[in-house]
Amino acid sequence: MIPSDEDGDEIGDDESDYGFDDQSADIFQPSSKCSQINFVILSEAEIRQRQEQSITSVATVLSVPRIDAVILLRHFKWSVSRVNEEWFADEQGVRRSVGLLERPTSQSTPMAIEPTCGICFELRSVDRMKAPAFCNHSFCDICWTGYMHTAITDGPGCLTLRCPDPPCGAAIGDDMIMSLVSEEDRNKYMRFLLRSYVEDNRKAKWCPAPGCEFAVEFVPGSGSYDIVCKCGHYFCWNCLEEAHRPVDCETVAKWILKNSAESENMNWILANSKPCPKCKRPIEKNLGCMHITCTPPCKFEFCWLCLGPWSEHGERTGGFYACNRYEAAKQEGVYDEAERRREMAKNSLERYTHYYERWATNESSKTKAISDLQQMQTVQIEKLSDKQCQPVSQLKFVTEAWIQIVECRRVLKWTYAYGYYLPEMEQAKAQFFEYLQGEAEAGLERLHLCAEKDLQIFLEGDSPNAAFNEFRTRLAGLTSVTKTYFENLVRALENGLSDVENSRSGKGASSKASGSSKGKSGKIRILGGGGGGGAGSRNGNGGSSRGGGGGDDHWSCDNCTFVNVNGATACSVCNRVRPTAAF
Amino acid sequence: MAGAIANSNLPRRIIKETQRLLTEPAEGISASPAEDNLRYFSVMILGPAQSPYEGKISLLELFLPEEYPMAAPKVRFLTKIYHPNIDKLGRICLDILKDKWSPALQIRTVLLSIQALLSAPNPEDPLDENIAKHWKTDQGGAIATAREWTQLYATSN
Repeated sequence: MIPSDEDGDEIGDDESDYGFDDQSADIFQPSSKCSQINFVILSEAEIRQRQEQSITSVATVLSVPRIDAVILLRHFKWSVSRVNEEWFADEQGVRRSVGLLERPTSQSTPMAIEPTCGICFELRSVDRMKAPAFCNHSFCDICWTGYMHTAITDGPGCLTLRCPDPPCGAAIGDDMIMSLVSEEDRNKYMRFLLRSYVEDNRKAKWCPAPGCEFAVEFVPGSGSYDIVCKCGHYFCWNCLEEAHRPVDCETVAKWILKNSAESENMNWILANSKPCPKCKRPIEKNLGCMHITCTPPCKFEFCWLCLGPWSEHGERTGGFYACNRYEAAKQEGVYDEAERRREMAKNSLERYTHYYERWATNESSKTKAISDLQQMQTVQIEKLSDKQCQPVSQLKFVTEAWIQIVECRRVLKWTYAYGYYLPEMEQAKAQFFEYLQGEAEAGLERLHLCAEKDLQIFLEGDSPNAAFNEFRTRLAGLTSVTKTYFENLVRALENGLSDVENSRSGKGASSKASGSSKGKSGKIRILGGGGGGGAGSRNGNGGSSRGGGGGDDHWSCDNCTFVNVNGATACSVCNRVRPTAAF
Repeated sequence: MAGAIANSNLPRRIIKETQRLLTEPAEGISASPAEDNLRYFSVMILGPAQSPYEGKISLLELFLPEEYPMAAPKVRFLTKIYHPNIDKLGRICLDILKDKWSPALQIRTVLLSIQALLSAPNPEDPLDENIAKHWKTDQGGAIATAREWTQLYATSN
């Protein structure tokens, strides 16, 4: 084991580790590499080893028996530092609360030849009566076994078992439990003991992947919560969902809830159907005329527009297809509310579907890429090595490309949740985001194509292909370019696209702005669209008319349509110099 | 009676406890097993002095489950009683009947604890929210109601 781990435990709470969180070092390091420092993956054997270390350490420092050390550690949630702290602050108090009472000096209390057990009331021979180490309340072995079995069956509470004599509270050591319970209970107990190291510990968690038995110990102090388990599962330390950078945990929770919620069904029904005015069943209008006949048994005939009975339509209402009542009602404002709600629901549903489809597609692409990666590692690499007469060690660049593809798919997937929750008002950001996302997608497609299709040629040829080295350079190059691009993308999105500083959310974003934006001239602001009601863009510099509300103190960039503040001499997005005509 | 107990397949602990309950009953408490089920007890508790339940007898039932004494006995009031830790089904909120049970406790200790609970209701840890609220906001009124219920439902000596 690494000795520094022990240190981490000692000083972890005052978070002095934050010293390592050096922004500048963080920037050029791939996220996966710097996250290696953040956590340690522990196997069952390693957890046991750590428990042993902690026990030995406590037993040595406090000069107490091993059994006592185990009781203390369990009580203080396996934190060696807390045990030391509390013990040296108030040994008697700690002893009382954990039940480490003074050991009875000797078995001086003379026992009857045939004492009665206080639980079963049977007469037992002296050698069958047992008392815990910290008190002299004797009960017979059968009752002890029953008592312990009941506690172990009840769950991990058995780890803090006390003497059954009510006011006593003396702790019961592992040694006594181990010597009295059945094989099955012993295993269960050991299992609880092992699990308590992870479950009680604030800095350790189990990997959430189904069937995975590894635990993760997290070293606080780094920005990233991304964990890669040895089982291959990527997850977020904080929320235990799949790793989801650049989106934060809250957004992920919202998104997942939204995906699972029945509410989307309701939205669909609301947006695309109207209830039959008579039987109230929802009806979807599949084009055609406004004359709707409900399905049997209802068979009610009504007008889709006004929901009035069709029998009242005709000449009196201005003829079919021109429901005057509808127009009239609309003028009176009766329909506005219901129609508007329906329209809004429809728009939001379409918007959600757009993002959800892309999110889900990237998820399935990712799953496919993972299986391709496994295929690559198990079969294809061997084959490639054979065909191209290259040692397997020289073919790492292929698996690296596939690992990158998997990672990129995951990031790309979550950018769609990001996009969905990007405030619609911040049009400039939304456009910039979509541009970045589009580039990312294109870059990833290039890499994916190269790793999938181009590789095929070298797998199929009969003899070593002369172009293989060229292929190696290209694929490795694409991998590294894509990797850098995605890392920058994640960082930009995590910063809330602070380069595109929005006038409305300026306070939050400006404090987060990273070094990259500091060098730029002045404060360049982009107005959120939609607000000004089309007032902008008439200031004669031929700016775009779709930018939305650019007022007099703003100008739209000819090149990229971003609306910048008047003081800026260059566009914040494309850096094009502002045309002087406007002044 | 003793013969009937000895013949059954009852653990010695239950037999002994039963015998002691019958021969040296605790003050104000009586518990006797049913003839057809020696794990089922009819219990009578006399309301303690200076309590709103004073002088009247409440009936309870007590059952020793298969796991007894590793598991707690099940106890319930049969007599309607106005008490913040006892609900309208007669269920009792008492720690030693739940997580604080220990096999070193006995039927006698459980019944003594219930008797003590009648003397000292604990509205901070209520089972019946409404009664507890009544107890906290208007103790005098609550005690009066408890006394009224005792007169109405509990039996005389």
